[in-house]
Amino acid sequence: MTDVVVQNRNALPADRHSLLVRKGHGPEVRRFTRTERWGLVFILPFFVMFLFFLVIPIIYALYDSFFTTRLVGGTVFTGLSNYKTALESGAFWRGMLRTAIYAAIQVPVLIIIATFFATLFDLGVAKWGAVFRTIFFIPFAVPTVVAGVMWSFLFEDPYGPLDRILQDIGLGHFNFLGAGAPLLGSIIVIATWEWTGYTMVILFTALRSVPRDVVESAVIDGAHLGRVITRVKLPMVAPAITLVGILNIIGALQLFVEPEVLTVFTTNVSYNYTPTIYLYNQAYAAQEYNLAAAISFVLALIIIVISVAFVMVRRRKGGWI
Amino acid sequence: MTLRTMRRHQGSRRAWWRASAGTVATLATVATALTAPGAAPSASATPRATLSLSTLEAGNGAYPTNTTKACKGKNPVQLEAWIWVPGLYRMVDVFNETHPGICVKLDDVGAGDTEYVKLTDAIKANSGVPDVAEVEFDELPSYEITHSVVNLAKYGANKYKKDFAPFAWQEVSQGSAVYAMPGDSGPMDLFCNSAELAKYHVTPGTTWAAFAKAAAAFHKADPKGYLTVFDPEDMQYLVSLMGQLGAFPFKWHGGSSVTVNFTGAKQMKFANYWQGLISAGGVKAAADFQNAFWSNLNNGTYACWVTSAWGPSYLAPNLTKASLGSWRTYPLPQWTAGANVAANWGGSTYPVFTASKHPAQAAEFSEWMNGTMKSWKIMYTAPSSLFPTYLPLLHDKTFLASGIPATGNTPLFDKAAAAAEHVKAVSWPPFMTYFLALTTMANVLNGKGTIPADFKTLQSTMTTYAKGQGFKVSS
Repeated sequence: MTDVVVQNRNALPADRHSLLVRKGHGPEVRRFTRTERWGLVFILPFFVMFLFFLVIPIIYALYDSFFTTRLVGGTVFTGLSNYKTALESGAFWRGMLRTAIYAAIQVPVLIIIATFFATLFDLGVAKWGAVFRTIFFIPFAVPTVVAGVMWSFLFEDPYGPLDRILQDIGLGHFNFLGAGAPLLGSIIVIATWEWTGYTMVILFTALRSVPRDVVESAVIDGAHLGRVITRVKLPMVAPAITLVGILNIIGALQLFVEPEVLTVFTTNVSYNYTPTIYLYNQAYAAQEYNLAAAISFVLALIIIVISVAFVMVRRRKGGWI
Repeated sequence: MTLRTMRRHQGSRRAWWRASAGTVATLATVATALTAPGAAPSASATPRATLSLSTLEAGNGAYPTNTTKACKGKNPVQLEAWIWVPGLYRMVDVFNETHPGICVKLDDVGAGDTEYVKLTDAIKANSGVPDVAEVEFDELPSYEITHSVVNLAKYGANKYKKDFAPFAWQEVSQGSAVYAMPGDSGPMDLFCNSAELAKYHVTPGTTWAAFAKAAAAFHKADPKGYLTVFDPEDMQYLVSLMGQLGAFPFKWHGGSSVTVNFTGAKQMKFANYWQGLISAGGVKAAADFQNAFWSNLNNGTYACWVTSAWGPSYLAPNLTKASLGSWRTYPLPQWTAGANVAANWGGSTYPVFTASKHPAQAAEFSEWMNGTMKSWKIMYTAPSSLFPTYLPLLHDKTFLASGIPATGNTPLFDKAAAAAEHVKAVSWPPFMTYFLALTTMANVLNGKGTIPADFKTLQSTMTTYAKGQGFKVSS
C-alpha cells in the first residue's frame, strides 16, 4: 500500500504541481482547478446535510448537556451535573452491562458465521454460490422494524410457531421472550439474522481480492486447504475482519430497534433495557432532554473507547483475530 | 383518548406498531397467517369495520381524516386542530358549514405520545402550534404547568359546566379556570362472559370483597380459568382503578407542590388486595391488549375484564362464535357495601393553545365540538365511537339502549353511563409521560415481584423525579 501511495504522489501531473506555486505569489496561495471546483459542487449537497443534520446537532446537544430544564424553575446552567447524574445512574449502567453482554456474544457469533460462509463461497465448493450469496444478503434489505415484527410473530408467547414446535416434539413450553436470558438470546438471533449476510458479503469481497498467485504459490509449497485458509487467506483479509468487528461492536452497543419493537409483544423490555432505549425514554417520556444529551455523549465515549481498544488489541496481536 | 390511546405509553407504542404494520400490511398479514394459526386476529393490520375507536385506522388511512370540505364565507379565520380519533372530519364539516367565519382544518399527526412529542416541540419552538389539539385528561396538566393552554373561562366555557359529568369538568379546571373542554371518557365497569359465569354458578358481586370470594370460587370450579385478569404494569389502568378507593397516588393543584403517595394506608390496601388475589391464584396477572389476552377472554380462560366504556370495542373484533353474544356489562364492585363510587380510565380533552392567533374562534370550536348534541350525535357513532362526558348524551335513551353483537345487542353503555356521574375525580400530576414509561410493575407478571413492594419502588422513583423537576414533594 505504501508503495502505491508513493507512486501516486510521484505521478502527480506537472500542472497540478504548478498550482501550488501561483505565479508571482508565495506557495501558500492555492487555487482550485475547474475540475476541483466541480468536485466541490458535487460534494456540497452531502456537506450541507452533514453540517446541518450531524455536526450542528452534535454541537447543540453538547451545549444542551450543560443545562438543566425543570418543570418548576426553567432552564439553568448546571455544568457537568447531567454527566454526574448519567454516570451515577444505576439504570444506565444496568442497561450498559446488558448491552455489553449482548455485544460480547452477538459480535463473535456473527463474525464466525459470516467468515465461515464467506470462506465457503470463496472456495467455490458450494453449488449455486451466487444464488445463495444473494439469499443470505436479503435479510439486510429487510428494514429492521419489519424484521423485528416478523421475528416477534415467530417468538410470540404462547402462539409463536417455535414454541409450538417445541411443544409438539415434547420439549414443553418455552417463552422465547421471557425475562432475562431468553429475551436477550432472541434479540441476538434477530440481529444475527439481519447482519450476517451483509458482513459475509464484505468478507467475501475481501477474500476475492487476495491475489491468486499468493494462493497458488502456497499450494505449490505444499500447503493444504486448511492451512491456505487460516495462514494465507484470512490473515490477508484481517483488516476487513477488523472493520466488520468495529462496525458490529458500534452497532451492538447502540441496540435499540429490536427490543423497542418487542415491547409490543412482551412486558420484559424495561425502560432502561439498553442505553439507547434509556436515553430515548429520558428525552421523550421524562422530558429530560439535557440529561439525555449527556447520556448520549457518555455512550458515544464508551463506544469510542471500546472500538479503539479493539483495534489496539488487534494490532498488538498482529495476526488476524 | 379514545379507547385506545388512553393507554398512553403502551397504547401509543402499540398504535405506533400498528401504524408500522399498516405500511407493511401485506407482510404482516402474511406473517400472521403463517406464524399464528391459532392466534386471535387482533395482530393483523385488517381495519375493523365497526365500533372501532382505535387509532390504528387513522394511521392506516382506512378512514379519511383530512377530507374536510371547502369552508364558507369570505376570508374565514383559519384554525388548525390536531385530533387522532378517526372519522371526526364529519363533525368538522358540520362545524365549518354552520360557522361561516371560521375554517377548521383537521390534522392527524399521530395518537398519544406521538402527538405530544410534536406538540411539545412546536410549543418550545413557538412555531407550528395548532389552535386546538386532542390531549388526554392525564396529559393536560403537563401543558397547564408550562402555561401553554388558554384559560377558556374568558370565552364563556363555564356556562357549559352543568352539561358535563362532574369529574370531567373538575379534571380540566383549577378553581374557576378552565384549561380545556372535556371530550370522551371511559367510566369503568366489568365486561363479563355471562355464559362462563353461569357455567360455574358465579356472579362477580357488588363489592370487592364479594369479588374476591367469587374469584376463589371460580378458580376452584375451573382450575384453568380465572374470574379476571389484572395488568398492574398498565400504569394508567392501575392508577385509574386506584382512584375509586381514594388511593390515587398523585395530587397537583397548579403550583410547585405535588403529592406522591404510593405507600399510604389506602394505597397499600389496594396493593395487598390485588396481590392477594394474584397470589391465591383466583386472578391472573398478565399483560393486557396482547394476542394471548384477547384469546383468553374469548375462550373463557378469563371470565371478566375490569375495563371501561371503551374496552368492549377493543375486545369485540377478537371474539369468535365461542363467546359472541354472551358478554354483559356489570357495575364496578364497590370497596364499601352500598356505596356508589366509580372510576374513569382514559378520555381526552380539547384545549386551546396560547400560541393561537385566534383563541376566541378556537374556543368556540372546542366548545361547540364537545358541548353540543349536534356534534355528539356524530362523535359517538362509528368509526369515532366516543363515549361522552356530555350529560345530554349520557341521558339519551337511544344511546343508552344501543348494543353490539358481542352483547347480543343488549345495552352496552348503561352501566358506564350511570357510573359517569359518580366517578371520583383525580388530580393528575404534570409529568404523567414519565410515570407511564416506567416498567417497575412488570415483575409482578412473572412472579418475581409483588405489587406492595413495587409501590415502594415507585414511591422513591417518582419522588426523586419530581424533586429533580423542581417540585416540593409531600407524601
